[in-house]
Formats: sequence, C-alpha cells, structure tokens
Amino acid sequence: RNYYGGNWASFSFSGLCSWIRENKQKRDVREESDDWRKLILETEEAISLNMKDNTIQHIEYICYANQDLAEDVNEAGALRKLSAFGVSDNGEATQGSEKECQPVESQSLGPESCEVSPESITCNDPESATERSDAEMTSESENLCDATSDESALEKGKMENASTAETAALEPKKITYTQIVIEGRRFNIDLVSKLLYSRGLLIDLLTKSNVSRYAEFKNVTRILAFQEGRVEQVPCSRADVFNSRQLTMVEKRMLMKFLTFCLDYEQHPNEYEDYKEYKFSEYLKTQKLTSNLQHFILHSIAMVSEADSGTIDGLKATKKFLQCLGRYGNTPFLFPLYGQGEIPQCFCRMCAVFGGIYCLRHSVKCLVVDKESGRCKAMIDHFGQRISAKYFVVEDSYFSEKTCTNMCYRQISRAVLITDQSILKTDSDQQISILTVPPEELGLPAIRIIELCSSTMTCMRNTYLVHFTCSSTKTAKEDLEPIVQKLFSLNSETERESENEGGPEKPRVLWALYFNMRDSSGIDKNSYDSLPSNVYVCSGPDCELGSDYAVKQAETIFQEMFPNEEFCPPPPNPEDIIYDGDGTQTEDPGFSNSSNVITKPSPEENSGGDGDSNQFSEEQHEE
Amino acid sequence: MAAGEGRGAGGLECREHLFKVLVIGELGVGKTSIIKRYVHQLFSQHYRATIGVDFALKVINWDSKTLVRLQLWDIAGQERFGNMTRVYYKEAVGALVVFDVTRGSTFEAVSKWKHDLDSKVLLPNGSPIPAVLLANKCDQKKDGSQNSSQMDQFCREGGFIGWFETSAKDNINIDEAARFLVENILANYKSFPNEENDVSKLKLDPDLLKADSKSQCC
Repeated sequence: RNYYGGNWASFSFSGLCSWIRENKQKRDVREESDDWRKLILETEEAISLNMKDNTIQHIEYICYANQDLAEDVNEAGALRKLSAFGVSDNGEATQGSEKECQPVESQSLGPESCEVSPESITCNDPESATERSDAEMTSESENLCDATSDESALEKGKMENASTAETAALEPKKITYTQIVIEGRRFNIDLVSKLLYSRGLLIDLLTKSNVSRYAEFKNVTRILAFQEGRVEQVPCSRADVFNSRQLTMVEKRMLMKFLTFCLDYEQHPNEYEDYKEYKFSEYLKTQKLTSNLQHFILHSIAMVSEADSGTIDGLKATKKFLQCLGRYGNTPFLFPLYGQGEIPQCFCRMCAVFGGIYCLRHSVKCLVVDKESGRCKAMIDHFGQRISAKYFVVEDSYFSEKTCTNMCYRQISRAVLITDQSILKTDSDQQISILTVPPEELGLPAIRIIELCSSTMTCMRNTYLVHFTCSSTKTAKEDLEPIVQKLFSLNSETERESENEGGPEKPRVLWALYFNMRDSSGIDKNSYDSLPSNVYVCSGPDCELGSDYAVKQAETIFQEMFPNEEFCPPPPNPEDIIYDGDGTQTEDPGFSNSSNVITKPSPEENSGGDGDSNQFSEEQHEE
Repeated sequence: MAAGEGRGAGGLECREHLFKVLVIGELGVGKTSIIKRYVHQLFSQHYRATIGVDFALKVINWDSKTLVRLQLWDIAGQERFGNMTRVYYKEAVGALVVFDVTRGSTFEAVSKWKHDLDSKVLLPNGSPIPAVLLANKCDQKKDGSQNSSQMDQFCREGGFIGWFETSAKDNINIDEAARFLVENILANYKSFPNEENDVSKLKLDPDLLKADSKSQCC
C-alpha cells in the first residue's frame, strides 16, 4: 500500500482511479514466492497475513459527463500520465475490458510500483524525463501560470481573473470529463464519509493532543430533509427556527418547546416515563408536533431509525445534536478541509514529529509467533525483512480467512458522485449539507448524504462532491442508485434538453462511483482464531456519522498495552525538549517514564516508538 | 500559507508575508543542518534526527516595505519511507530539495522527492511550487561529480527553478539559495494575491476550548 490510512484514506481523482483499478484487479493474485517461510525458525510459527485487501467489493463507476475527444489528458502539473482509464456511459462499468486494464506506467500507483527500488527511478531515465517535459507542455498549453516567469505569470493571472469574472456572470459552466481529469488534484475523495460532532470524542482528542494544529475545519452549513420528493432545509438552532419561512408560528412554538425539553429531558422523567417501551417515532406522535416536525426531528435531528429506535435512544440522540449546536456554528457538525482522510494523516504527522516510523510500500507476509511463550515477536515483510516488536496492532483486513473463520461481517454501501449543482440551490453556492433520507420500507436502513462544495477543498470549482452511505442490504449500487435517481439527473447533456419539461431542474451527475466496504466494527477479539495476546486487532471504519467508535477503540487498545500511560497527551513544547551530549534525545521530564522512548506509541498515532523500532504497529488504520 | 496583510501606517504600506517552505531530501543530506545554519547561524558536526519540531522560523527584512516570515518545515523524525503525508506538504509555497554531493544515491533520489512534492501540493493557480535544488556538503566535494552545465540541464528537465552548491558547515550559498527561492515565491504571490481569504475556516484552538462555556443553543 502506498497511501496512508487504509480505508480511511482520501484520493485525488487520478488517485481514486488507481485505487479502483487496484481493487478490481486484486482478486486472487497469489504471490508465488514462499521464501519468507525460510525465515521462520524451528521454535517459531507463522500466522500468514492477507497480501491483498479484500474489504472492498462491487466497485462500479459510471461517467455521465461529456467525454470530449482527448484521450491523453493529463492531470495539470502531473509528472506521470494518467493511465488510460476506461469509463463507459451506458450505465454499466465494463468489467475487465481492455480499455480499463491498460498497463500502468512505471511511476504510477499500481501495485507493481511497490517493488520499484530507488535505483530504477533515477533521474537519467530517459522515459521519465520525456514524461516530465510532456507534462510541462500540457500545463502550459492549459494556460496555467509558469512559475518561473514573473511577467507572464502576472499577465496570465490577470487573464484568468478576467475570465472567471466573465463566466461567473454567465450560466454555470458545463463540466466535461476532461476538465475533471485535468483538475483532478482539486479533488480529495474520501472512502469514508463522516462528520465531526462539535462536542464529540474526536474533537476532544484532536484538541487535547494538539493534533488539531494540522487541520482546519468548516462548519456544516445546512441540515436538510427529504419529504414528498422535495429537499428542504431543517431549522434547528433557535435563530433558524425563528427565521424559518416554512414553519407556521404554531409550529415554531411547538418545535422550540420540544427541543428545549430534549436538552434536559432527564430532568423531566414524567414527560416520557410512560413511553419508555415505545418507539421514538411513536412517542413523537404523542407530543404536540405536526407530522412535518416529527419528520424533521426523527430523521434530520435525532437521525435514528423509525423502525427500531426507542424513546430514550431518540431523546438521547436529539440531546447530543442540540448540545453540539452553536459551539462553532449553526449546525452541530464540522468537516475537515481536504476531507476526512486528513484526520489520520494529522495523527501520522504528529507521530512522525516525535519519531514514529512509517514503512509504506512494504506489504506484510506474516506474524512470527514464539512457540514457547506464545507471544508474537516479529513480522516479515515482502522484502523478507524481519521487524521485531513488542506489540502489534493489526487491522482486521490483514488477517486471512484462516484467522477469521466464521466471521460474519456487515457491509457498508457507499456512493460518491461528482455533480454540477447543489441538491438545494440558494444564494450561496458554497454550502456543506447533510441529508438523511428515511428508507422507503420500514426496517431498511436510512441513507446518509453529505454534499460538499469546492471550498472544502474536496472538489474542483463549479462541482459538488456528494457522498452516500448506508449499511448494506444489497450491493452499493442496488442500495443507493434509486435515491440517486430521485435527487439527480443521470442523463447526458443532449438527452437533457428534451427531458426538462416542467418541474425544478435537478442537478446532474457527472461521474459516479459505487462500492461496498467491509464493516469490521463491533467484532469481538475472541472471534479471531488463536491470536497471541500481544496482537491487538483494530477494526476498519464503521458506518456511523461520527468517529466515536474509532476513538474509543484506539484508546482501549492503547490502555491495554500501556495501562499507566496517558492516551495522546499534549506534546511537549519544542523548547522543553532537552538534548543530551551524546546526540540521543531525552525528553521533557514527566513526558515519558522510559529513558529512550521519545513518544508513547498509540494505535491512534501508529507510533513506532523510537529509532530502534522496539515497538511496531501496523499501518495506520485507525483515526 | 501565503498570508499577506497591508499595514497602512502613515501612508507607507508595509507588507508582511508568511511563507511555508519545505526542506526535503534523503536521510542525512543535511536538511536540518541547513535549517539550523540559516535560522540560528549554527552548525554541529553531530548528526541528530529531528524530533519534536515542525518548523523553524526565519524573519527576513526583504526591503523597506516587505517583511517575510519563512516557516522552514523539516521532515519529521523518521517519516522518510517514500511518501510524506499531505499534512506536511499542504499550503507550502516553495521547497528546497537537498542532496549530498558525496553520496550519489542521494542525488538519484532527488527526482523521487520532486515527484512526491508535485503530486501532493500545487500553487493556487495549479502550477507546481517553485523548488530549488541544493548540492550540499560541497566543502567535501570530490572530483567527478556533476558539472555545472549538466546540473543546469537536470534542473530544466526536472522542473527546478535553479540549483546551488551549498555547505551548511562553511556557510556557503545558503542565504543566496533561500533568497533566490523567496524572490520566486514573491513573484508568484504577486500574480495571485490573496486568492482565498476564507473567513469560514476554523482552527481548533486548545486554549479557546478550555474557556468554552456550556452549550448555547435553544
């Protein structure tokens, strides 16, 4: 793997295309070599690990945008060519077509590049040199500023400004597939779609550990609801409720009264005691609320299931939502600039600043267990390198089927769309919205939609990135495409002209991706077959909106390993770190109790301890 | 990280800039020594991995109207295995790519670093950030290394704006290289002034949070 964060990662557009390709190709590519077995001593046994990640299934992608002419389009500023990436516009991804499986160039992200040694990427390589100058020519012809030329850059800058001003006045630009590819780096597309509750555990952890210094956030600007085929904004703060034009005066009073009660519902047990055994949806019916308000509260504020959530669950969820309001803005949620995938990277950076070691582009072959003590003592990578450690934090996806016999995983259905307009147009085109769509049939999961605008640094200008998430009942496409069709137009440009008769114009999908991701959360450690006690399993991402599960799990694993250490303490001030004479560092007294370990490893930070790597944990999968 | 603000004091406009500059290259080529020499005028023979520090700050009185604050970001700890996190690259406006003239393998890795750099950060207008190549430890230079015209060609092909032979030990060319890079950054800055001044961005400040009172909704 050559990216951080496992299934928590985010990708540029070309990066995502490579990720799709890798996942489609991976089926049963068994490594022929068994050399690593020779490295196991007689007193040891091996737990072999999965060479390939099998957590992603049913990938389908569809391009709806106009695929004008150009075949060899490069991402602007890219050093390597985007390898030809087949896309079909007939609604079916063409599995295994030739188009799609074109050979990947030497410096691209294909799995083969894992084995490219530094020598083979020398600067004298004529091929890569040509590639480079190609790319430069492209970027010039795209009329991008030439960094080395002051004057022309100035002029071009002006021209660009002028042209943006002009087009802004005209109707919204029609984005083509070529433009998406060229502007590919403007995209940061998350595999996992989550938000941060402004008073959630992740915010607390980020601030407490000072990891927040590496991140910036935006407030989610709107909570939306989907009723009778219409998208509308849900008023949830006091100001919203009073300013709402869609609520009657009576409704405003009802809603305020109910929300005020929810904020300290525990103080008024008589209000809900009798309904404890009821479903929250039934309880809402007994309150003085219109059906419109019941819908808002159930689906958009509490965001609980109509079919199975009890009264207390609903009240608790409503309270959590309300408590998070107003801390940073008008909704309870924050979104990290550049995407959710930044968060693991922020922890990685903090860890690296304090000496953590990362071995990307190494795949792992096996864990080595000492027969006598039953403890894991090392792991072996695909270079045959043996890395010793005291503790091993391994993500679920690394274990082979042998270790995970009888494991029954849930699945998450995901869709990612690039669209041309917001699902609810307003004065500002820079909105970040969350919409929970209740299921068509009672008992099915609700679908969570998060729409991101370009100022979140996750998509190019004049586009939106729309994430769909639900727990799977079928394949992602089967689960999610019906609602995609309700909210968006999937037709190509030409078809659209004739289609648009009456009714509000729906935003258009330019590109869509569907996939299922394994949800390994909530699996008991004892379900894994015969793991040594110093091997800790962490799960992949869960399906929830917040990240509480991951934070709790990280802390639990850390406390099991280091019961007397504080979890993610604030880092010492650089000035407070004392260097001693021999060039090894000692730390701020009290920061750690062992003399040569600079930072305490934690699953959060995927820390590798100090330079001797006497502690080692698997690639970062946690947040 | 290119923040500029006008200070209209007495009609004399003074501009202040904050620029994030990355210092990258292989293990032991002298990145930290270059930063220490440039920022603190210090040099130590003893090698020491960089721990606990994100960046060093250098303040330059560029001219009578311009103050430049350079944040020089070192590669942290041992985060050297191929890829860097985007957190490190994010919002950088310039880079110094360092190799050790006494070790050919570090020169060969220069292209790899440049590639990683360009794939993770761009100027707001979409072009690569200006990068200067530093041939460090030139005080220990042996014959047979690249000649000047080869290096010029390498820079042209590799997308570097220029190169310098430097020595952190003897304080050779480090100020010059930094000055050359800052000139370029300033020129870029003029061509896209303050493109984003997005007030809705939030930083989570630990001190602010401590003072943060209870929820204030409804």
